[in-house]
Amino acid sequence: MIEDEIYRTSSQYRLWSYTKPSLQSLRNKTNDVASQRVRAAIQRSRESHPSATLSAAGTPQPGSDGETKRSDEKPIECLTPEEELVLVTYYCEKTLELGDEYKPPLPTMVRATAIQYLRRFYLTNSPMTYHPKDIMACALFLATKTDNYYMSLRQFAAGIPGGPSEEKVIAPEFLIMQGLRFTFDVRHPFRGLEGGVMELSAIAQGQGQPAPHLPNQTPQDLQRGLLAIAPSPTPSSSIADRIGRAHGATRELLKSAAQMTDAYFLYTPSQIWLSAFLLADRPLAEFYLDTKLGGPLAQTTDNNQNNLQNPLYELRIKLFQVISDCAALLQSYTPLSSDPDQMKNLKRIAKKLYHCQNPEKVNLKRDSAQPPPSATDSATVSETESERLAKKRKLEEQKRSANDMFGPELVAERTKH
Amino acid sequence: MASKKGIDRRDEDEVCPVCKSSRYLNPNMRFLINPECYHKMCESCVDRIFSSGPSSCPVAGCRKTLRKNRFRAQTFEDIGVEREVDIRRRVMHILNRREEEFDGKRAYDDFLEQREEIIANLVSRTDVAKTEAQLQKYATENMQSIRTNQAIEEQEATSFQARISLEQEEARIRRQAAREEMENERREMQAGREDFLSRLAAGNPSDAASIARESHKVHLRKSSARRSEEDRLRQKQAALRGSELKRGTNLTSVENAGPSDTGLIKGLRKIKTPEPEKPYDPFMGYVPGKRDYVTLQQSYPSQYLDRLRKNTQAAAGGYDLQEYYSRTLTEAFAGLACFVEDEVAQRDAGLSKATAGEGAAMAAVSQ
Amino acid sequence: MAVSPFASRSPSLTVSSPNAALRLRAAAAQNASGPVATAKSVYSADRELTEQLNDDVRQKYVKDKRLGEGTYAIVYLGYLRDNPSSYVAIKKIKVNAEYKDGLTMDAIREVKYLQELSHPNVIALHDVFSSKDQNLNLVLEFLPRGDLEMLIKDTAIHYGAADVKAWMGMLARGVWFCHENFVLHRDIKPNNLLIASDGEVKLADFGLARSFADPYLNMTHQVITRWYRPPELLYGARQYSGAVDVWSMGMVFAELLLRIPFVAGNTDVDQITKICEAFGTPTEENWPGVTELPNYIPPDNNHLIPLQGREFFLRQFPTAGPVGADLLMSMCALDPRKRSTAVQALRHAWWTIEPRPTKNEDLPQKSGAKKMGEDLGRRGGEIDDGMFKNAARQLDFGAMK
Repeated sequence: MIEDEIYRTSSQYRLWSYTKPSLQSLRNKTNDVASQRVRAAIQRSRESHPSATLSAAGTPQPGSDGETKRSDEKPIECLTPEEELVLVTYYCEKTLELGDEYKPPLPTMVRATAIQYLRRFYLTNSPMTYHPKDIMACALFLATKTDNYYMSLRQFAAGIPGGPSEEKVIAPEFLIMQGLRFTFDVRHPFRGLEGGVMELSAIAQGQGQPAPHLPNQTPQDLQRGLLAIAPSPTPSSSIADRIGRAHGATRELLKSAAQMTDAYFLYTPSQIWLSAFLLADRPLAEFYLDTKLGGPLAQTTDNNQNNLQNPLYELRIKLFQVISDCAALLQSYTPLSSDPDQMKNLKRIAKKLYHCQNPEKVNLKRDSAQPPPSATDSATVSETESERLAKKRKLEEQKRSANDMFGPELVAERTKH
Repeated sequence: MASKKGIDRRDEDEVCPVCKSSRYLNPNMRFLINPECYHKMCESCVDRIFSSGPSSCPVAGCRKTLRKNRFRAQTFEDIGVEREVDIRRRVMHILNRREEEFDGKRAYDDFLEQREEIIANLVSRTDVAKTEAQLQKYATENMQSIRTNQAIEEQEATSFQARISLEQEEARIRRQAAREEMENERREMQAGREDFLSRLAAGNPSDAASIARESHKVHLRKSSARRSEEDRLRQKQAALRGSELKRGTNLTSVENAGPSDTGLIKGLRKIKTPEPEKPYDPFMGYVPGKRDYVTLQQSYPSQYLDRLRKNTQAAAGGYDLQEYYSRTLTEAFAGLACFVEDEVAQRDAGLSKATAGEGAAMAAVSQ
Repeated sequence: MAVSPFASRSPSLTVSSPNAALRLRAAAAQNASGPVATAKSVYSADRELTEQLNDDVRQKYVKDKRLGEGTYAIVYLGYLRDNPSSYVAIKKIKVNAEYKDGLTMDAIREVKYLQELSHPNVIALHDVFSSKDQNLNLVLEFLPRGDLEMLIKDTAIHYGAADVKAWMGMLARGVWFCHENFVLHRDIKPNNLLIASDGEVKLADFGLARSFADPYLNMTHQVITRWYRPPELLYGARQYSGAVDVWSMGMVFAELLLRIPFVAGNTDVDQITKICEAFGTPTEENWPGVTELPNYIPPDNNHLIPLQGREFFLRQFPTAGPVGADLLMSMCALDPRKRSTAVQALRHAWWTIEPRPTKNEDLPQKSGAKKMGEDLGRRGGEIDDGMFKNAARQLDFGAMK
């Protein structure tokens, strides 16, 4: 099918599509590599700890000494891949909410792009190396740039609660782009949904055109077929109303479940919107697929219809399987913030992360004087290095001072809901 | 080519073998030969014996039937050479393959040798029948290519002539131009000098040096300007001629049909009959507007879009809802039948097979 | 040609390189139960996986001499390490110290769209990597034969209708492909049409490109170099369509035929005036809605020029012939709705009548030695100041969408 060929040329298909097992393995590997590095880095910082306090004049150190002494006794516990995934998903939800902070609120597609950027980024990077808190805002800003929703960095930073500086927001941009392998285009299911709904509306009004491979249907056949389908799960006043409700419900699903699960990696945008549609109004979705690929349409069973079906028949079976799988995936998602158990788990993970953050990656500022972000010895003498370390200490201070792991701004947000 | 006069003068007493009349009696006697048997006889004999139709050769022992119209003057002094040249001409007329038709130098050389052999056979009268049969067979089978090659040879001959005359013409024009330029320069120099002198005469003694410099500069400028103008003209002409020639030579591409490597000649490059050139396809193979899932309509109902439909400003700017319909409906089905699970697994499998060997090597190196 | 139009790119783009493939493969083939001996040899723990992947891509290429430099980027000649005869152009984007918002929009656009578009008449982006100093490097195909502008301006080169037809065909195909993928190029001009070693013309410089078709968007009208900008943009239209690229194509067509830019205004207003003089004055009658466009300038009613017809085009562009003039006319319709679309242009009769478009190998080539780098060194959307001295166009970042 030519539309499929078109999709196969996209970078999403070529670089960012995985099977379930390969996705899992990749995450495991990333986690593994990062864990090794964290352990090594923390080890190094422990060993060179005395010299590191040299330049930190004035900043109180009692807490940190006690901290390291305590963790000297304990082995360094790194996050597991599953814990990392939960953390990333939480920040994806936060991204969605951050979009609401702007006037007017950021478009759905921009937020969706940002969320996918986050998910892709954390396939080859670990939250232990780069905390999602620092990455999230920048990912969203990058999405406004790549999705033609331009706003200046100043405007953007101003909208973030907690008022981080512009430099802080933009700092990880290059890193993120590298993590995305410089592919900025994300194919979303939203437009596809609009198209499907428009076609269904046309069919409802008796103006539908038959699909290229099933030319025997007339607009009247299609309309009759549509009106004859099983009733929808939620009551509606008319077919137009029914379509509208399904449209809305699907859109909600696409905005949330589709973004917060691995749907984009495992399925194509058209499959995603159709599975969401299936969840919203099964008979309607099945009818629509029937019009495209053939199937037991209500009134139009001729004998030669069977012959026409055959090449499409297998496709239809297979497709149904895939869409059901995807629908199951979408259905399995519940927002973290709504589930107290999940939130508790999250808090625990965050605490764990605090202890296993890679100390050599805290400052993401892109400074031309700075050496490339590889393992640096914290005992170097240069002025900028000492400044950096001082800043690092300050950050750790701030983190400790705030009771919650996520930093003041996001805690405030959470309690809003 | 020996001069006829020379022969005549030397052989005052040359005698026609048939009528035995001598040159002494007929100073304008001309001898003719017939390529059938290469016997020579005087013109009057030819007239006498063959005017009323073909007849057998009067030379004793030769029984060949001769026709009057095949009699012609002898070009070479040695009749043997004449005969060989005739044979050679005939064979080459038939076996006229060109170098570019062969698969390589070796094949072409083999062909040349083959041809020489045939000629030698015919000249020395060995295996004549067999050789003639070969020739005949080749001629009938390769009629097309023979004719094509003949045409090419003809063309080459005429273009060669044309080129020669063109070059001569060019040389002439160049000479003339040079002469004219010399003349112009001389005249200018003259005028310049006169002007210079008159100015000197009219001006102050202090201005002498500056006037001198000025006139020199003017002279240079004039000559360089003229030269560049002529240069440009020449270049334009050269370009024009160049493009004409290019177009001319483009026509001489060899297109041969027919079987190669049949029978006589081996090693011919396999030339397929070129298919008639396909018409230019502006899309180069792509099919525009083809869709497999959707038949696009002119309009779709949508409350969301209704406001835009009334927006004349957007419409005046060229915004086209058709493009939106096309995009949404393409995206609705883009990748519907792409089964990521299977396709990516296949892709990975293929890639890992290819890099398996490399992986082992890498493992050895990096560890 | 029965080749699938969407033939996949070279494997280099599917996965970054054999090494990277290996890493990802090893990662993917793992069970969660822990690393296996073979995989360990592939991973070094001193760099993140991302960086390792990036290094793999960078290592694939060897940077050779500098080809050219512009305000926007430096272009180097490069080649594949495994195959020194396969040339590429490596475009290193300069960091703009004044722009504090991270990577500039044109760099983003170029990378984004070139990653998705793969067609013989669109410049190919083979890879992207970051150099050690966090600079973006684009590995593009090497196009050594300059651009179309060079050919037009080079008085030593002569070309005819068949050549024009060949070049226009390639341009039209490139534009059509972009539109098929819902991408507007928005900077079509002879300068941005680069020529490959086999004579194929490629659309380059996607720094102003963007996707289109979505309703209710406000797009900027300050795009496309002035001489190739359609009237609706000069009148400030905020919603427009692929027709803007088609107008540019028409202007390039005219310039190929005349060998000088056809409508060359010094300011936006001057451009409108010249367009009116050339094609006719837009009115509500011949272009419904035009008076409502934001920057619409009412014409001088004493000086209304009627819409030019076929005879005008035939007179001005005799080399094109009547059919060619008809095509040009369809591309230069004032009302964008009446203008030909890229598809319609390619379906026009002109392509199939005599003369047949020249084959690539016979197309005229540039004579000078100007290097490819100079073209790519320019910023996307930037006008070469040397040529259009009065055409300094302000890049209004505030309005850029």
